[in-house]
Parts: sequence; C-alpha cells; structure tokens
Amino acid sequence: MTDLHDVELVVNGVPRSARVPARRLLSDFLRHDLKLTGTHVGCEHGVCGACTVLVDGRPARSCLLFAVSVHGSVVTTVEGCSEPDGSLGTVQQAFWDCHGLQCGFCTPGFVTTITAYLDENPEPTEDEAREAIAGNLCRCTGYQNIVASVLRAAELRREGART
Amino acid sequence: MKVSGTAVLHAPRDKVWAALNDPAVLVRTIPGCQQLEQVGPDAYRATVTAGVASIKGTYSGDVRLSDQTEPDSFVMHASGAGPPGTVSADVRVTLADADDGATRLEYDADAIVGGVIGGVGQRMLAGVAKKTAGEFFSAVDDVLTGRADLAPIAPTAAGPAGASAAAAPAVYTAPQRQRQAVPVGVVLGAVVVGALIALAGVLIGWLIAS
Amino acid sequence: MTTRTMGEPVARREDPRLLSGQGRFLDDLGHDALGVAFVRSPHAHARVVDIDVTSALDVDGLVAIYTYDDLTDRLAEPLPLLIPHPSLTHGRTPYALAKDEVNHVGEAVAMVVAADRYVAEDACDRIRVTYEPRPAVVGIDNARAATHLVHDDVPGNVAAHMVQETGDARAAIDAAPHVLALDLDVERSASTPLEGKGVYARWDADDRSLRVYTSTQASTSVRAAIAAKLDLPPDRVEVVTPDVGGGFGVKIVHPWPEEVLVPWAAIRLGREVKWVEDRREHFVSSAHERGQLQHVRVGFDDDGRLLGLDVRFWHDNGAYTPYGIIVPIVTSTQLLGPYKPGAYRVEFESLYTNTVLVTPYRGAGRPQGCFAMERTMDAIAAYLGIDRAEVRQRNFIQPGEMPYDLGLTFQDGRPLIYDSGDYPASLEKLKKLVGWDDFDACREQARAEGRRVGIGLACYVEGTGVGPYEGGWVKVETDGSVVVATGLTTQGQGHQTAFAQVAADVLGVPLDRVTVTTGDTRRFRYAVGTFASRALVMSGNAIAAAARKVREKALRIAGEALEADPRDLEIVEGVVRVRGVPTSSIPLSTVAVLSNPLRYAFDAESARATQFATAADPDRPPVAEGEEPGLEATGYYSPPRATFANGMHAAVVETDLQTAEIKVLRYCVVHDCGTLVNPRIVEGQVHGGVAQGVGGALYERMVYDSDGQLLNASFMDFLMPYASEVPKIEIDHLETPSPLNPLGVKGAGEAGVIPGMAVFASAISDAEGFAITRMPISPSELFDLRRQHEEDTAR
Repeated sequence: MTDLHDVELVVNGVPRSARVPARRLLSDFLRHDLKLTGTHVGCEHGVCGACTVLVDGRPARSCLLFAVSVHGSVVTTVEGCSEPDGSLGTVQQAFWDCHGLQCGFCTPGFVTTITAYLDENPEPTEDEAREAIAGNLCRCTGYQNIVASVLRAAELRREGART
Repeated sequence: MKVSGTAVLHAPRDKVWAALNDPAVLVRTIPGCQQLEQVGPDAYRATVTAGVASIKGTYSGDVRLSDQTEPDSFVMHASGAGPPGTVSADVRVTLADADDGATRLEYDADAIVGGVIGGVGQRMLAGVAKKTAGEFFSAVDDVLTGRADLAPIAPTAAGPAGASAAAAPAVYTAPQRQRQAVPVGVVLGAVVVGALIALAGVLIGWLIAS
Repeated sequence: MTTRTMGEPVARREDPRLLSGQGRFLDDLGHDALGVAFVRSPHAHARVVDIDVTSALDVDGLVAIYTYDDLTDRLAEPLPLLIPHPSLTHGRTPYALAKDEVNHVGEAVAMVVAADRYVAEDACDRIRVTYEPRPAVVGIDNARAATHLVHDDVPGNVAAHMVQETGDARAAIDAAPHVLALDLDVERSASTPLEGKGVYARWDADDRSLRVYTSTQASTSVRAAIAAKLDLPPDRVEVVTPDVGGGFGVKIVHPWPEEVLVPWAAIRLGREVKWVEDRREHFVSSAHERGQLQHVRVGFDDDGRLLGLDVRFWHDNGAYTPYGIIVPIVTSTQLLGPYKPGAYRVEFESLYTNTVLVTPYRGAGRPQGCFAMERTMDAIAAYLGIDRAEVRQRNFIQPGEMPYDLGLTFQDGRPLIYDSGDYPASLEKLKKLVGWDDFDACREQARAEGRRVGIGLACYVEGTGVGPYEGGWVKVETDGSVVVATGLTTQGQGHQTAFAQVAADVLGVPLDRVTVTTGDTRRFRYAVGTFASRALVMSGNAIAAAARKVREKALRIAGEALEADPRDLEIVEGVVRVRGVPTSSIPLSTVAVLSNPLRYAFDAESARATQFATAADPDRPPVAEGEEPGLEATGYYSPPRATFANGMHAAVVETDLQTAEIKVLRYCVVHDCGTLVNPRIVEGQVHGGVAQGVGGALYERMVYDSDGQLLNASFMDFLMPYASEVPKIEIDHLETPSPLNPLGVKGAGEAGVIPGMAVFASAISDAEGFAITRMPISPSELFDLRRQHEEDTAR
C-alpha cells in the first residue's frame, strides 16, 4: 500500500489539502485531487508550458513538481486569475479582446505566465512581450495575437490603475 | 478458459492424498478459505474470500468429486458464486510418484468464468489462477514437510442433526492467521482448491467409514 | 435594423469559459473512471511470441489486463480501412491490439486497466513481452529497395500505385524547347496538437446504452465504428466531443484502437473507463505525415510557359493505411496550383515502412505538392533568367477562364474544377505588400553591409468544402433563445461563434441569444467531420439552410397572427414586425409558442398556446398536413464539388554568413477564401497555419534510426516553433465569393501552412544563390550545402 502524505497549501487564495502519494505530480494534484482542471498537461516534460502555475508568485511547470514539494506554498492557477466575482481578469480580458486563443488548451499556461510577467514588467515593448511568452508553446495561434494580448493586458492594467 | 499446471510435493503419494483430503489441512492452506462444510457424500461447500486484483468478494463454492482412483487421480466439479462473478470448472487431478519419495501432481482445469470478474482478461485470470494454485501447493508442502505448524483443528460445528456416521457433517473454520493480503486470490484458485476440498471430504468419509 | 454580424470580427462566444479555466477537455471529465495504459511495442518490426503478466498481478489497484486473445467477434478483426480506393490494392490496417506481429514502435500490445493511470503504468512496466525482432524497413529508399518487407503479403512494400494524366505529358516534354528535372525531398512531420488523444466511456447497464467522449474530429463516424465493432445497435451508442485542444488532422482517423477498446472495457467491467495518452505515446502511436521523395520533369517554352509536367513521387505511408491514400491523391491533384499545366502526368507509389501511420496533417499532401510545383517554377525562372513572379503570372489560369477543368479526379472522387479565384490580382497584392519589385535594391544594400538576404514566393490553390454533406438544426425556443446544432466537430476554429453568426443573421436575432453545439451525436446525427477546410462551407451553409426554413415558418405563423402577408414582414432583434409598422409585431418567442399547439400548460408561455387560449379555426387541424409542431428545422448542404480557395505567400529571410542561421525578417500573406464570416477567426487560422509552415520548413522533422526507433519523441527534440521563431505575419485579403454555395464562402483552415516549405526554400535559395530542394532545412544543413556549392563551383 502506498504511503500517503498530507499536502496543505493555499490555492487561489483558499487553503486546500489532500492526502497523496509522494509521486503525485502537482499538475495531477491540482486537476484531479482539487478538481481545478483549468491547468492543462501538454507534454509532462516541462517544455510546452501549458501546465504553468504560479508558485509563491513565480511561474513554475506543475508537471515537473511533486505535490508534496509545494506543501505550505501559495499557488495560483488560471482559475485564480479571474476576478473574485468570476468575471475575467485583465490578462484574460486582453486575450478575449485580441483573439489570443483558439482551442484554449495552452492558454492557461500563458495567462499565468503573463500575469507574473506584467507584475515585474508592466510596460513591455512588443519585442519584450514576444520574448516573455517565448517559453510557452501554442500550436493554433501562431503567437501573433498572444503578443497583442500581452500588450493589451498591460494597457488594461494601466487603465485599471488610473480609475 | 483452460489452466493447467504441476507441483511437486515432498511426500509419498498416500501422504499427499491424505493431506489433500484432510479438511484441517485444507482450511488453513487454501488461500482465502474461511470455512468448509461437508454437505453430502463427495460433496462440500466452501466459503472463500478471493478476487482478481481490486475485484474482491466472498464466494460460496460447491464441490463434487467423481472418477476417484485413489491414490492416482480424480475429477472435481466445482462452481462458485459471489458478488463479483461466477465460476464453474472441471478439474482433473493426477498424482504420480516422483524421485526421492516425492509426488508429482498435475492439474488440468477447464473453467467458465462469468460476471464482472470474467471481464478482466484471460491472461490475468489464468495468471492469478496459477499463482494461487502455486501458493496453495506450497502451503500444503510446508505442512507435509513439517515446516508449518499444524495444530489440530477440530470441527467447529456439527452438521445436520441425525446424519449417519458416513455423512460426516463437519464444518471447519480457518484459524486466525496472518492473511497475506493476497490481492490476487482467485475464484479459480479456490475452485482448483475446491477439488482438493472435495478430496478431503472423500477421505474424511473413508476414514470415518473405515 | 438588426445588426448584421456576418463579416464582422465578432469576439468569440467560447472564450470567457476557456479563459477562466472552465474548459471541458477530455481529461477534465470522468474523475472517478478507471485509468488505462498500454504496453506498446519497443520494436519497429517483430513477432509477438509471448505476453507474461505474472509480475503485474501484484500491483495494488490493478483491475484488468487485455491482449488480442481477449478480443472477440468484430473486435478481433482488423480496424476499418476508412477510404478504400481502386488503386489501393494492398491496404492494411492494424488490429486493436497486436495479434502476432507489431509493425512500428508504439503499436499497442496489451491494455491495462487500473485504479488510475499511475497504477496502470506500474502494471505495464511489469508485463514481460517476448518479441522476435525482424528487420525493420525505414525510409523511402529502403521501402523501395524492398530488401525486407513490412507486410509479408505486400510485394515491394507498395500499398498503392496510381497514375493520373491529362494530355500526353511525356510527348509534350520531349517536344519542348527546354526541359528541366528536379529531385525533391520532404521530411516527415506531424500535427502534434497540444492536447493528445483521449477516450472516456460510460456504459449504462440499466439502459443498455453507451456514451463515449473522445477527443476527435469525427464523432459521428466514431459512433458508427464503435457500434459496428462492439456489435451494439447504433441507437444505443452516443459519442460526444468535448472541448478539443487542437486536432490539425491527427484526430480525424478513427477509430483509434483506444476508441473501441476503452468502451469495450467499460462494458466488460461495468465501470467508467478513461484513457488519456501522454506526449511520448502521441509521438509513437498517433500519426505523422509529409514524408515524400519527388522527381519532376518539366518542359517549357522560351517564356517559361508550362508545356508538360511529369511528376513521379514516393509517399511514405507508415506501417498501415487506415485512411487510404488521400494524402498522395491530394498531392497529385493540388500540385498544379493556380497554373495551366499543359499536359500533366502524375504517378505515385505509396510505400509501407515500419514507422507510425501516415494520415492527414493540416495541408494533407498539399504542402508537398506546392513544394514540387513552386520549386519547379523557381527553377524555370532561374534557367531563363526571368523574374519568379513573372513566370508565375504567365502560367496563371485567368479569372475569365473560370470555371477551369483541370482534367483530373480530386480527393472527393469528383472532377477537379476550379470554380473561382483571381490569381493575377492576388499576386499583385502580394507583390505590393512585400515590396517585391524593390527587393533587388534591398538585397544589394544588404550585401554591401555584409549581410545576406533573400525573398521567396509561393502560390497555391486549395480545394475546400469537400462533401459529401453536412447538416444543421436550428430551433427557436419559447423564451426566444435559439439553439443550433451540427454534427461535425470543433478544435479551436470558433464554430460556436461563426455558426452563431450565420444563424443569427439569417433569423434576425441578437447573436448572444444563439448557442451552438457541435460534435455531439445526441444533438445531431448525420455528419462527416471537420477536416479539409470544410466546416464553415459545409455546416455554415447547412445551418443557413435550416435557419431559412425556420424563418419562413416563423413569418408564415406570424403573418397569420398579425393578419399580414409574410412578404411584408421582417425580423429585427428577435421580433417579427410589419415593415414600416413597428407597432404591428410579435416576438419570435411567441411565434415559437404558437407553433406548438398544446393541451397542457406548463408555464405562462405554454398557457398562451393551449387549445383554449388560441382562437383556432375549428375546421382546420391544429397541426396542418405536412407540418410539424415547433419552430425548428433541419437543413443539409451537399455540393456537387469542392470550392477552391487560393493564396500566395512571400518571405524575406536573412542567412548568417558564419553560422548559416536562418532568420525570418518578413512574412506576407495574400489570401482568398471567398466571403468572410468572421475575419478575425480567419486571420487566426492563417497565423496558426503559417507558424506550422515555419515549423515544417525550418524545424520539424521526425528522426527515425535504421532500426525504426523514433529518436526525437518529445518536445525537447522535436522542435515546434515558439513565439521567438514565428515572424510577424502581414495579411491582405481578396474575396472572390464561391459561386457554389449561397454564403459564397470557401474554406480557410489549412491555408496558412500550404506554401510554407516552398516559400522558405525559395527565399533561402534567393539569398544563397543555389537551389534548396530538401525541407526542412537546419543551419547545419545549410552550412553543408554552402560548402558543397562552393566545391561544385570551384570545380
């Protein structure tokens, strides 16, 4: 019988916990133990970025982490990038405005990555925006509208900050 | 489904036959066996907890012997039913002398497995059957060679009242023992073993009658 | 007036859900289902001798292990050959689980069902399969040489041999003033959507019905295949397509072995069962495409006009041919592009190799055909010293010559006839967009600066909207909302928006009142599938047809209610009213109520429709002869032929003098897919296709060793472009509406990728001064070619 470990952490602002085997990936933990299926698994070897979540504010590949290794951390998934009332957050709104997604499978990884990026660099140039997303694969969009989404998100943040 | 196999038991044939027909031996060596009850001549009822992998259940098995040629061979007809499914099987068992006073046992079973348990795939069923049979014979061998402790187990209950001596209405219950959490006991294993329970019944009958 | 949404870049209805993590992809469903993993062959070609599961039996949580011996009846027969063809004389398909032999690394040998995927993989690791390896046939050259055979009963490894011709090409070439020959090589790539395949099945024992969710492009066909293979009445099987994370062709094949095995296990075990593949599994057990060797002979005159074109090619179809020979047939026919071929002969052999199957990947044979034709055009231009755009202009089919019959049979079995398109106008637009005529100066300028740049050009024609048909269903509910359903599927093309636009505009209702369901056999039963750039053409027109019927009925019923002539009525924002008399109106919701005369009232709406509430004519039946209750209708669209879109791309590249690294400076697209329903969605499709074109030209290839091992079965080694590799894409449009359908639309899904290899080969050749004939090309390959060229010119 496999040993189970208690994992307690804060996910999207809510304390969550579960008992899981040591080898349970964070991606599977979020998706199947916590039923937060917004985070997607595209490769399980850390290359595509669809599984990107924020761990203590920094983007991380949840397919390369064990759930037990984030015990005590603060994790944000794409679900946590929405507003508390369920409406779209700025990055999500920007994607909608710019047709930045097609099938939507890679999108959660971009949303979390860009959310963290704009916290660090709120006014990127177009080249910087392209570089910021150059660690996530998308097979549908050809990236053009995703770059536009980064810039649009920055714009929405500026507007939001002003009001 | 066909399953066959062999085992070498380290005792002469008459001792092997005796052991295989001793309910006290059987109830403690059959993987998952809870109790045995003789219900008629050459007929026994066994309760066995077994299952394939995560499909477990408690099965009631009926066993009937035929074509006995002591101490050479017999055929056992067995059927078992439980929540996960059903089995019915015909098993031919033969004993032959082997080197150094040992006995070579061969079993050849033809089984029909039904219900959910029948859905798990032939190789898995057959694999588990052989595995369990192997565990059973190994346990019997331990008894025969004195490696296993064999405290006598008397019948725990009387059978139907007023039965004649030859009916031997005895019920044997398995002792508390470490149940190796055999996640893979199998109905068929119980069934193969059921053949031997039947054997036990026969011998008990003979012992009592003689 | 109702706002018209068709033609508008409407924001997508499906986005908020997908953006907030509320998508429902296959693995998001069935959390309580049992997990599945497969034991897959590690050998490219081997006999299966024995499968020993003994060590796996101890795995806690194991539920079942299946091999071929467990398969019965039709499940024990090979999987279907979906598209037979007379030329496919030696088609072969796999068994759902390998019977005696495996023919590629990754072929499924045993299926394990367990408490979850982790446990299933544990059990798989312990299953010992004994193989007797046999020589593997890898690569087209080895397949042709046929020293070894993939299938013992397929001589020469030839699955199919086909010739199509119009005129006598060989004679025309022999008589031509100039002749050139080219040998071309395209390497294998693959769709690789971000989401792999998955199947989730539920058997309802009380109802004796099966529901299967699968990440597919053809749910209706999957349903038919499952019903046939599992011997179930089709009415008792439903297939539902969840959100799909990309398809690009690989999910059109059906049934995958897993699509029949997972439901079968669910029935046998009486449990929900779900299988979701991992990335490596996708690489070795899905499908690849693109690999071809081509030999082109062309005869032309002094002006560069084609007189005769003789093409032979060898197509690597992998270990099996479940999808028939559609890809090489598409190559054969679409190779001609926008040009008048003179006499044309095309011959191909489709060959088996001990590698993963080959089935359509976006473009489906067109990129290879475009590559052959466009390299030929460039070669003619170079030979004669004529501008490459000029040569193409001289060979174009003119708009006045439409419809143009090329004298061949297309992939739908129908004559290849281009219906519309203005190729000269497209080329003019492209030249202007990229600055074609000024480029010589740019090239010189760069040379002066010690840089090397080049410009390339490629044109293509794409047959879209192939039949046989699609259907649509439209219904107005009593609350005024509109539900629409069509049977084909969605993988990111925005069908829930585009189809809603069509229905909303035809009916005259606000867009946000329309919801669309795709790919669900419970909602629409007859369909073909989403592939070959056909969805908008087919389902768009079918939904329009259904919506027109609903509109007609609504106007008739409203006319009776308003005592007006239906011809005087219009529908604006969901309200039917007399034109010019806005007070004389009735909402569609009420019309829906009136369309269904009731005996019983369930709510306020239905109370208005009961037999006592309406003033019915006592001599007429409540539901007239030939009529049906309800404000709904079904429509179908079945065209006589495909409709032909076209496009032209230009690329400017810079190649590094030292490292031979290739940088894309500009990428321009002129694209004509007829009338646009949602321009933003179309552009998105072009962007995505272009990215795959960049990938196919510069990065993506499947690398097999001589033993048939796929060496780069992961994203670490199979290089898909990131944002840093895809240039900014400049697009200009032309719209020559299709005369073949009422909406005037043509397909757009594959457009972006078709000329990718051709345009980059053209640009790099221009930069380097020698022809590029093999794609994809890496910096080290370019480096070697440069050296080769220097040696050749030195001699």
